[in-house]
Amino acid sequence: MAEPLLRLDRLAKHFPVGGSWIDALTGKRSHVKAVDGVSLDVRQGETLAIVGESGSGKSTLGRLVMRLLTPSGGQVLYKGRNVVAMNRAELRQFRRQAQIIFQDPFSSLNPRMRIADIVREPLDVYQDGARADRPGRTEALLERVGLTAAHGRAYPSELSGGQRQRVGIAAALALSPELIVADEPTSALDVSVQAQTLNLLADLQASYHLTFVFITHDLGIVHHFADRVAVMYLGRIVEEAPTETLFREPKHPYTRSLLSAIPQPDPTKRVDWQLPEGEPPSPVDPPAGCSFHPRCPHAMDVCARQAPTLAPVEPGHRAACFLHQPAADSAPQTGMQS
Amino acid sequence: MSLLDVRGLTTEFRTEQGWRPAVSDVSFTLDPGEILGLVGESGCGKSTAAYSVMKLLGANARIAAGEAWLGGENLLAMDDNALRKLRGDRLSMIFQDPATALDPAITVGEQVMETVREHLGLDRRAARARALELFRQVGISDPERRLSAYPHQFSGGMAQRIALAIAISCNPEMLIADEPTTALDVTIQAQILRLIKTLLVTERRSAVLLITHDLGVVAQICDRVAVMYAGRIVEVGDVRSVFADPLHPYTRALLDALPTHEVARGALATIEGRVPGLTDRPSGCSFHPRCPHARPVCATELPPRVRPSPGREVSCVLHTADG
Repeated sequence: MAEPLLRLDRLAKHFPVGGSWIDALTGKRSHVKAVDGVSLDVRQGETLAIVGESGSGKSTLGRLVMRLLTPSGGQVLYKGRNVVAMNRAELRQFRRQAQIIFQDPFSSLNPRMRIADIVREPLDVYQDGARADRPGRTEALLERVGLTAAHGRAYPSELSGGQRQRVGIAAALALSPELIVADEPTSALDVSVQAQTLNLLADLQASYHLTFVFITHDLGIVHHFADRVAVMYLGRIVEEAPTETLFREPKHPYTRSLLSAIPQPDPTKRVDWQLPEGEPPSPVDPPAGCSFHPRCPHAMDVCARQAPTLAPVEPGHRAACFLHQPAADSAPQTGMQS
Repeated sequence: MSLLDVRGLTTEFRTEQGWRPAVSDVSFTLDPGEILGLVGESGCGKSTAAYSVMKLLGANARIAAGEAWLGGENLLAMDDNALRKLRGDRLSMIFQDPATALDPAITVGEQVMETVREHLGLDRRAARARALELFRQVGISDPERRLSAYPHQFSGGMAQRIALAIAISCNPEMLIADEPTTALDVTIQAQILRLIKTLLVTERRSAVLLITHDLGVVAQICDRVAVMYAGRIVEVGDVRSVFADPLHPYTRALLDALPTHEVARGALATIEGRVPGLTDRPSGCSFHPRCPHARPVCATELPPRVRPSPGREVSCVLHTADG
C-alpha cells in the first residue's frame, strides 16, 4: 500500500487546568488529556471522518494536524515529514498544501475586508503567480464555489451563513491544497444550506482530488460523506473502520450507543434508544482503564483496570474494547453490574 | 376537544421599514397527550409563534391578530397577572439554553422548591420532598447532594434535566419545548427526549409543543408535525403521513436535503436561493421563488389552505381541485 498522505503517530495534547501558580511551579497542576495517543493514517484522496461528542478532543486533533497547536507528544507526518519538527520555511510550504475550514465562517473572516480581498489574500501572502493574474484567479475561485463578482465586492456581514462558508472554502482552495481539514463546516447551517455546502465539497473533492479530514458530531453527514470513520471518546480513538462497515457492524459499545442515539428521520423506524447511562466523565479526571467503562453495558472487571488498545478486529477495522481482544493480565471476568 | 386551539395568530416585529409579520395567520391545535413538532429553518417564525402563545415577547414584537384558546380561556386576551399564574400552573416551558430558566445565584434545590411552594402551596418540608422526587424522576443521581448545587456546577444536559424538573413540578397541561436538545450531544439528546415523552406524555397525558429544526427528532418522538416557512404553516399532518408523502414542495425539499447513506455522495437535493428575511418576503406564496413547481398564480396570490385527506392540511395550489 502506498504511503499515507497523513500519518498521526501517538499524537497527544495535554492542556493544564486550574490549580494555583504554585501548583504549576511544583508540577502538581492537573492536565486535560484532550488528545491522548492517537495513531491514524489518512490516504490520498479519501475522506476520513473524525466523530465524537463534545469533549472528545476531535477539534483539538484537527488543530494539531494543522499545527495550530503544538502537540505534547507524538508526530504528525505529512508525506513522511514530521510537521511538528518543521522550521518556519517548511511550515510555510506545508500550509500551502494543507488548509482548514472552520465551523463559524463569520468569526474566521475579517469583517473589514471585502470578500474578494479575503479570497485573494493567500495568493498575495504566498506571492503565488503573477500579480496581474490574481484578480482573475480570485474571480474564478468565487465562481467555482458558486459566488459572483458582486459577492466579491461585499463585506462578510452582507452575506448569509452559507455564502460566508463558501468564502471560507474559496480562500482555502486558493493555493490548490491537497489536504483540507474541515471542522464542523456545516453545523451552523440550516439543512437546505448544509446540503448545498456538502455537495460543493464533494464536487471540489472530485475535481481536485482533495483529501478531507472531516470533523463532525453529525453521523448522518458521516454516513453520506466519509470513506472511513474514526470514533473518538475522551481523547482516544475507540473504533475505526470503513464507513459502511462501521454503520453495519459497530464493534465498540460506545459506537453502538452513538449510532442508536441518532434520531433517524423516518417515523416508521422508531428506535428504542440503547443509551449509555449518565454523561461523559470530565476529561480532567477520566476513569481508569477503558474510559467508557462506567457507562458501558458490557463492562467487565478488567475494563476498570486496563485500557484496551486499538487493535484490528478485521482487516481495516480496529476497535479498543476487551470484548474483541484478550485482556493482557487475566482471563475474561464475569459481567459487572453497575 | 383540543387542549390548545390557536387561530389566525399574527405576530409582528418592528423593523427599520415599520412593523412586519414574523408569524402570519398561524392556526393549529394540540390535544392532551400529544406531541406536535413545529419545524422549519432559522427565521421561519416557529419560536415566535410559540412564544406568542405564552405572550413572552420582547418590546420589539406585538401580537397583531389571533386567538389562543386553552380550555375556555383566550390566552392572548388575558391580563399579565392571570397569565403569569397560568404559566406556572398549567403551562411550562423549557429552552435551548437551560440557563435561561435558572437563576445562577440560587441553588437549584431552592429554585425547584420555590416553584412548588408558590404554585402547589406546599410547606418547606413537603417542597423539599417533592424536589427530591422530581430530581429522581428526571434522572439526577445523588439528588440530596445536588439540591444544594448551583446551576453552573451542572453540565448542559444536567441543567436541562433540572429545567425539566421545574417544568413538570406543577403537572402542567402543556409544555412548550424550544429546541430543548439542540445544544446537547446526541446521546444526551436522546436521554432528554425520552424523559419528555415518559414524564409528560405517558405519565401525565400533557401536551407538548416541540419547536425544532431537526426532522430526525420530529420523526422519533412527535405525533403530528407543522412545517413553517417564512412565518406561515405550509403543511400539517400526522408524522408518518407527512414523512411518507410530503404534500408541500418545501416539506419535500427539506426531507430530500437530509444527508443519508442511501443517497450517493454529492447528490443531495438542495433548495436554490435562501430563506427570505423579514423585510423581503415575496408576494403570493413566499416559497414561489424557490419552488420547482411554481406557476404564475403563486407569485400573486396566497395559496389556499386545503385538506386533501383527514388530518392533513397543506397550503399549495398543487393540491387545489384545479391544481
